[in-house]
Amino acid sequence: MRIAHPTRALRTKTGTPLLSIEGLEVHYGGIRALKGISLSIDQGEIVSVIGANGAGKTTTLKTISRLLPITAGTIRYDDRDLGAMSTEEVVEAGISLVPEGRAIFPNLTVRENLELGAFHHKHRQTMAETMEDVTKLFPRLGERLGQDGGTLSGGEQQMLAIGRALMARPSLLLLDEPSLGIAPKLAQQIFAAIRTIAEAGMTILLVEQNTRLALSVSRRAYVLRTGEVSLEGDAKDLAKNEEIQKAYLGGV
Amino acid sequence: MDSAKQADESKKGHEKPRSAKDRFGGAIFVVGSLLVALVAEFLLPRLIEDSSVRNILMTICCNAVVALSLNVINGMAGQFSIGHAGFMALGAYTAALIVSAMHTSFGGGTLPPTSFDHDYLVAFGHSFAIVPVALLAGALVAALFGLLVGLPSLRLRGDYLAIVTLGFAEILRLSVATTRLGNDETVGEAVHAIGGPNGFFGPVFHVGSVFLSSLGGKKGYSGPDGAGVPLYAGPFWVIFITALVALVAWRLKFSGWGRALRALREDEIASEAVGVDPTRYKVTSFVISAFGGGLAGALYAIMRDGNPVVQPDSFTFQTSFDAITMVIIGGSGSVTGAILGAVFVTVTVKLIELVQHADVVQNLSSSLEAHGFSLDLNALRMMIYAGVIIALMVLRPEGVFGEREPFFKKRMRTREGAPA
Repeated sequence: MRIAHPTRALRTKTGTPLLSIEGLEVHYGGIRALKGISLSIDQGEIVSVIGANGAGKTTTLKTISRLLPITAGTIRYDDRDLGAMSTEEVVEAGISLVPEGRAIFPNLTVRENLELGAFHHKHRQTMAETMEDVTKLFPRLGERLGQDGGTLSGGEQQMLAIGRALMARPSLLLLDEPSLGIAPKLAQQIFAAIRTIAEAGMTILLVEQNTRLALSVSRRAYVLRTGEVSLEGDAKDLAKNEEIQKAYLGGV
Repeated sequence: MDSAKQADESKKGHEKPRSAKDRFGGAIFVVGSLLVALVAEFLLPRLIEDSSVRNILMTICCNAVVALSLNVINGMAGQFSIGHAGFMALGAYTAALIVSAMHTSFGGGTLPPTSFDHDYLVAFGHSFAIVPVALLAGALVAALFGLLVGLPSLRLRGDYLAIVTLGFAEILRLSVATTRLGNDETVGEAVHAIGGPNGFFGPVFHVGSVFLSSLGGKKGYSGPDGAGVPLYAGPFWVIFITALVALVAWRLKFSGWGRALRALREDEIASEAVGVDPTRYKVTSFVISAFGGGLAGALYAIMRDGNPVVQPDSFTFQTSFDAITMVIIGGSGSVTGAILGAVFVTVTVKLIELVQHADVVQNLSSSLEAHGFSLDLNALRMMIYAGVIIALMVLRPEGVFGEREPFFKKRMRTREGAPA
């Protein structure tokens, strides 16, 4: 598996986080969606952000991808200030977002969808190699390269969305609700793939409503509640936390 | 699953041997259309003696350029521009002015008839200097205005582009049609007044008015001495330019750029997430579309057997709407569809004109007029289009061909591994 970009040398020294967010505030018009959250991810980690609807999980990911304007606070990635970058520059810097709700291109073929993921490195050879990796990770996609994206099942579309993000050869993968609206069996497959990607050295920030699944793959987790970080810590500890069990895991 | 098949699939991305047709297809097409255009230049006037029939053929070509260029923004990029006539007008007036000026500097006079004598060949030779300059200038002026109009309005989503383009085209047309100064002041004289006793801005504004006034107002611009714009673009230029535009439109559609546009049309957020800058892509396609519109207008203004007067009335909302009809009927996004849409619209326009001028209709019309009614078959055209478009909406909302390219089954998809 060579999914992470081999030549994308990161300047991060050991000890400093790959991504660090401090005091991030985001508004939708007059509504304060994020009220100054702080979080950080080290290289090679899977960190999940869990919480109820409207807690600000998706907003956090969209803001990192610079799809939303920042009101206050900083986002630093590998010594760079993301606040000053455009969405395209963020992708180029090595951060790929898998948007919520499997936002694939339904009338483009699976192959075209994947090739669009590699929009930024125009090298044919690298693209073909990454394509090979992605189809190895998701054999179903390899079988359906010529098919329109819209004809895939929900789970397969999610695989395609993840595959497309991987095509950019990112250093940091942002996953927004990969299990949303997907049959449990396929969700298991997708999370198995996420583990494989992580084992290959990818850093992953995972946003998930399925707390059990999220905590099972992550090392650390943050719990968001109405735009604030209410809890953070080791995923194993959080899984045992009484409050979390009551609120998100359906009691003991 | 079949692993050998999978391996085969993934290898395709690596090194797909490109056939000679793939590699030289464009060059072969260009040379072929050059030859066809050359033959047409010399044969068409002999084969078809009726200049109004030649006019229909040439107009079909011009309208194909109109439809192909509008298809870039309305079909491929999925933005709705309804002011294409504005860009055509810019191209037409620019080209007419330049051709007139260059014609004068080449000695002036009337263009020789197409009798293939010495004079004709000299004029044909001159056209190689005049036509490219005029067409390019017309297209560039239109593209520049496209950038000015597109930059602010394409940052926004939704119908803003439609409103802005409609307003732009109408403002342009009405400015030309209504600016008439009573005196014979030339632009040069007006320029000399800048910095004089009246200051700077007043005279600069005055130069603009004098320039607009020199375009002839509602009656139109008819060359330097009122003898008509010299029509330098014979069948050779019209056919060759149309072929070139079709080739460029085809290449655009199947390039990585065209694929990014299609992605943008399908899901803007997802395309942003893979690194497509929506504003940049929309503005670029709008500028390309405006460039093509200017080119079409320029061609229209200087094509042989055409109208030697460039009039604001040729560029009304009706013209923009005809262009939209061509694109929608053929199928938004389809290059072949745009061309066939252009053929359909041009032929119906001309057919109805022919019927209108037929004796029976003329007699009927004059007898009706005696009773206070009027008969304008041109209105019938709008009813035909409306009927066709309503029928399409019900039966085939995507247009006759949708986004597909009939007759070209093999290359319906983006070329594999096309660099983005």
